[in-house]
Amino acid sequence: MKAFKHITANSVEEAIALIRTHNGKACLIAGGTDLLGVLKDEILPDYPAAVINIKTIPELDHIKKNNDGLKIGPLTKLADVVAHPLIKKRFSCLSQAAAAVATPEIRNMATLGGNLCQDTRCWYYRYPQHVGGRIMCHRKGKGPCQAVKGDNRYHAIMGAKVCFAVCPSDTAIALSALDAELEITGSQGVRNVSLNEFFTTLGNILKPDELLTNIQIPYPPKGAKQAFLKFTLRKPVDFAIASVASVITMQDGICKAARIVLGAVAPTPVRATDAEASIIGKAADGVVIEEAAEAAMAGAKPMRMNAYKVEITKTLIKRALLSIFQ
Amino acid sequence: MADRTDQRRDSIVLIVNDVTHEFGIGDHRYQVAACDTLAKTLRETLGLSGTKVGCNQGACGSCTVLLDGIPILSCMTLTVECDGKQITTIEGLQNKETGKLDEIQQAFIDHSAFQCGFCTPGIIMASRALLNKNPSPTETDIKDALSGHFCRCISHYQVVEALQTITEKKKK
Repeated sequence: MKAFKHITANSVEEAIALIRTHNGKACLIAGGTDLLGVLKDEILPDYPAAVINIKTIPELDHIKKNNDGLKIGPLTKLADVVAHPLIKKRFSCLSQAAAAVATPEIRNMATLGGNLCQDTRCWYYRYPQHVGGRIMCHRKGKGPCQAVKGDNRYHAIMGAKVCFAVCPSDTAIALSALDAELEITGSQGVRNVSLNEFFTTLGNILKPDELLTNIQIPYPPKGAKQAFLKFTLRKPVDFAIASVASVITMQDGICKAARIVLGAVAPTPVRATDAEASIIGKAADGVVIEEAAEAAMAGAKPMRMNAYKVEITKTLIKRALLSIFQ
Repeated sequence: MADRTDQRRDSIVLIVNDVTHEFGIGDHRYQVAACDTLAKTLRETLGLSGTKVGCNQGACGSCTVLLDGIPILSCMTLTVECDGKQITTIEGLQNKETGKLDEIQQAFIDHSAFQCGFCTPGIIMASRALLNKNPSPTETDIKDALSGHFCRCISHYQVVEALQTITEKKKK
C-alpha cells in the first residue's frame, strides 16, 4: 500500500474536525475490510493523505434498547450483531443478513456502519491499478459505465441509468425491510434519514465531512414475521447475486402490512412496492405469492448478460414469502 | 483542537506470542509504517513467516491470526491499530519449553490434513479459536467456523476429520 498518515480520533467531533483539516484528502477507517482493498488496488485516482481511525470512538459501539426499538452504534461488529439475542429474536432478518456477510473472520472485523457505507463491487470500478491501470467510469467521474458494453452478468437489472453497479450491502436490505433510520453527524449538525433515502445511485448521501453515528430500528409490529434470503454462487465470502428481505404482518390469515426489499438488483436497495400492494389484504396462497414475485420484477430491464437474475430474484421472493406464510 | 488531534503516537507495542515488541512508527528499519498491514509486520519485520498471505484481499483466510483470542485477517488489519493487543500466530502454538506441538497441529499431521500447506496456518489458527470457544463442536460448527478458508488442494475433508478426532478424544 502507498503511504498515508494515520490518525486516531477519540470522538465524533474530533473525527469531523480531522476530516475538515485535511480538505477532503482524508478517509475514515473502521473495520477496514473494504477500505484496505480499495487502497491496496488504488482503484480511485485520488489517494488519501490521511486515514482517520474511528474504531477508537467509544460511543459508537453499542447495542441499546429504548422505547422505540433498538439503537445500534455503527461501529458494532457484524459478529456482535449476529450473536445478539434480542436481534436474533425480534429482528431476525437483520441477524440473518449480518450472518450472510463474507466470512467469520471478516465478521469479526467489519462493522455494521461499514457494511452500509462500503463501496460497490463492480469489477470495472474495482479493477486494480497495478494490473495494466485502473479503469475509469461514470462512477469515478470520467467516461461511461463500462458495464453497459462489457461483461454485466452481476450488474443491475432495474433502476439504473448512469452507473449499473449494484448496492453490495446485505444488512442494508434487512434494515430497509425493518424501516430503520440512520443518524448522520457532520460539521453542520445532526440529521436523520430513512435507510432508503441514504443510498443513491453513486453511493450514499454522506457529505465528505459527515459520518454515520447511529442506526435506529423500530420494533416490528406484533405478529410480524421476517425473512432474509441471499443467493450466491458459493455460501461464504461471495457478495449477493440477489437478496430479499421481508417483514410481513399477518392477522387472522390475512396480510395486514408488508415490506419487501430487494438487494443487488439495482444501485440502491429497492422496495418492491408493487409486490407489497399485491399481497396486502389477501390470504396467503400460492397464486398470491406467484403474483407478488411477478409484480416485483415487472419493471425489470435486464442487460445483455443478466436476465437470469430476474428469475433468481423471483424465486427468492417466493421462497421468502412461503417461509413467512407457513 | 487541531494541535491536539494532529498529535501522533510515535510508537506502538505489540505482544506477539507472549513476547512484547515495541516499534517506532516510521519508514526506517525495524519501524512500522502507518500503511503496513499486520501480515507484513509479522512476516517482514518480525520474521514470523508462518503467517501466509494468499489473496491479500481478505478472501482466502490464509493470513488468519488471533487478535486478543479472536480470529482476524492480518492482511486487512493495519499494524498501527493493534497497539497493546495480544497477537497469536502459528509460531505461538507450540509449547515453548517442551517443544510439543499443539493438539491441532499434531492432529493435522496425523490426518495429513494438508498438501502444499500454504493455507494451513490460517486454518489452524481459526480452528484454535473455535476449540477455545467451543471444545466440542459439531461437524456443522467446524464447517461454519472454517468457511472463510480456502484450500486449493482440497484438504478440507481431512481438516474436518482431524478436528473431529480431537473432540472425540476429549469426550472419552
